[in-house]
Amino acid sequence: MSLAIPTPGIRRRSVTGLWLRHAVSFVRYWKFVITWVLIEPVIILVAVGFGVGKLIDEVDGAPSYAEFVTPGLIMGNAMFHALFETSWNAYNRIDNDVYETALTTPITITEITMGDILWAVTRSIMTVVGTATVAALFGWLNHWEAIGIIIPAIMVGITFGALGFLFSAVAPHTTFLTLVFTLVASPMFFFSGSFFPISILPDWVEPVAWFMPLTSAVHIARGFALADLNITHLWAALYMIALTAVIWPVAIYLLRRRLIK
Amino acid sequence: MTNEAQQNREATLNPDGSVIKADEIRKLYGDVPAVDGISFAVEPGETYGLLGPNGAGKTTTMRMLAGLSPANSGAITVSGIDVVKDNRAVREVMGVVTQHDGLDGGLTVFQNLFLHGFLAGLSRKDSKNRAHEVLEFFGLRDRSKANVYELSGGMKRRLAIARSMMTSPSVIVMDEPSTGLDPQSRNRVWEELAVLKDAGVTVLLSTHYMEEATILCDRLSIMDNGKILDEGTPDQMIERHAPKEVAQLRVSPVSIRTVRGYLTEQNITFREVGALISVTGVNGDRPDLSGLNDVEGVRTSYRAGNLEDVFLAITGRELRDG
Repeated sequence: MSLAIPTPGIRRRSVTGLWLRHAVSFVRYWKFVITWVLIEPVIILVAVGFGVGKLIDEVDGAPSYAEFVTPGLIMGNAMFHALFETSWNAYNRIDNDVYETALTTPITITEITMGDILWAVTRSIMTVVGTATVAALFGWLNHWEAIGIIIPAIMVGITFGALGFLFSAVAPHTTFLTLVFTLVASPMFFFSGSFFPISILPDWVEPVAWFMPLTSAVHIARGFALADLNITHLWAALYMIALTAVIWPVAIYLLRRRLIK
Repeated sequence: MTNEAQQNREATLNPDGSVIKADEIRKLYGDVPAVDGISFAVEPGETYGLLGPNGAGKTTTMRMLAGLSPANSGAITVSGIDVVKDNRAVREVMGVVTQHDGLDGGLTVFQNLFLHGFLAGLSRKDSKNRAHEVLEFFGLRDRSKANVYELSGGMKRRLAIARSMMTSPSVIVMDEPSTGLDPQSRNRVWEELAVLKDAGVTVLLSTHYMEEATILCDRLSIMDNGKILDEGTPDQMIERHAPKEVAQLRVSPVSIRTVRGYLTEQNITFREVGALISVTGVNGDRPDLSGLNDVEGVRTSYRAGNLEDVFLAITGRELRDG
């Protein structure tokens, strides 16, 4: 079987239908979900911005540490949400036959990934908008260009939404999914330039850090946050797009292998 | 029960007049054939059963027919649609009840139905209206706002069947509609399936309960090891393969050796199922058990031959052996 199995067109209803399912479920549990959209990132922002920030005077081109760290934290948090949606949540949907049931309607595996990734993007945008608003109130986002952070937010939703499927589609049990956090989320959260510029890392680590897609997302977000955009931000965006173009078809292939027996 | 809930779409027929047609379909898992070249056709309005033990290939067959799993070879036609070529189109016209209910725990009963209908292509308004109708029809209206995990097993199964009715399909496949249900819930499911049949819905179901097959199916196939062994109406099958009468002996433990000894001595074939000994006479006649009259703790009753006997006669195994 080849990796890219052609799909006979995309049925829009499949994608909106699945997205609506997630939205309805989200609204049902909004009291719980609101905590991860708003409260959790605010805690991190306050701790790192007010706490750690007080100890650090100067950092790579940013007026203050809080302003440096804000776009990094926002992107890191968006990554967690996108990954969680298509790893843990998608695994539960596999395990509880939610996809199996969906497949009895005229939906394809490709459309399932599209609907879920669209929801991962939605989650990413919600958390980014919430956290960025709070950061702006604290005075840590000071340029109107910061609105552009919505662009890397969307990209994080897509790239990490696709990436999460690589785990849920092959996971034999939920314990396996902890690998998403030990292998992907944690290293990226700490080594993609969120907390410190990766240029201060040892020479051999720096290229590894650039290989991580979150590094690109943080770089782009910081460009918007500090209103300092140049050609490197375009390269970062192209890298994320290229990486997604590889990951997504693999995710579709793995999910098809799992669901279409 | 609302009339609307019973008004299903008219079935589009295959060129040969059937609604479902499977022709020499085969499915391999690795080198092992799960379904080994089977053929059958389901006529419009008919309830057709695949009867066989677990692992016979029933679920795989249903999944192939519903376009959920590709066949390795063979042809499948449903309502004029070539399922092998266009598995998306078949899922537009066919209702499917999967074996494990597949209800969405993140949603209420109503939302399960509404979102399924929407995903299947109904407008929001139509899907809402239809969800209310099927809830009414399946007697689940007062559970509309409940979480699905609060429902009993019987209600979950009825909700899964209700969900397959969201698009008013003319043809439905159901994988083991009453497996795991208590007798009361099972009867309720059977009643509802009978109403769907009256409404003209073509149903293909799989089961390993001979009662279910006898009560619901107009015709059935007996499946074992991925093959269809025989096909016909329940009556035809019983006439063809089962004895007219089967003696059933309930024997107290103190006498079991005596009874076994007697039957063996008299060259009477028997088999023990749980606490029962079943005895079939030669050529279907009533076996001579007069020698057991004086044995203490033996109660003898006679029952008519049934589909279990048919399965035993064809395969040499009990249907319930699994």
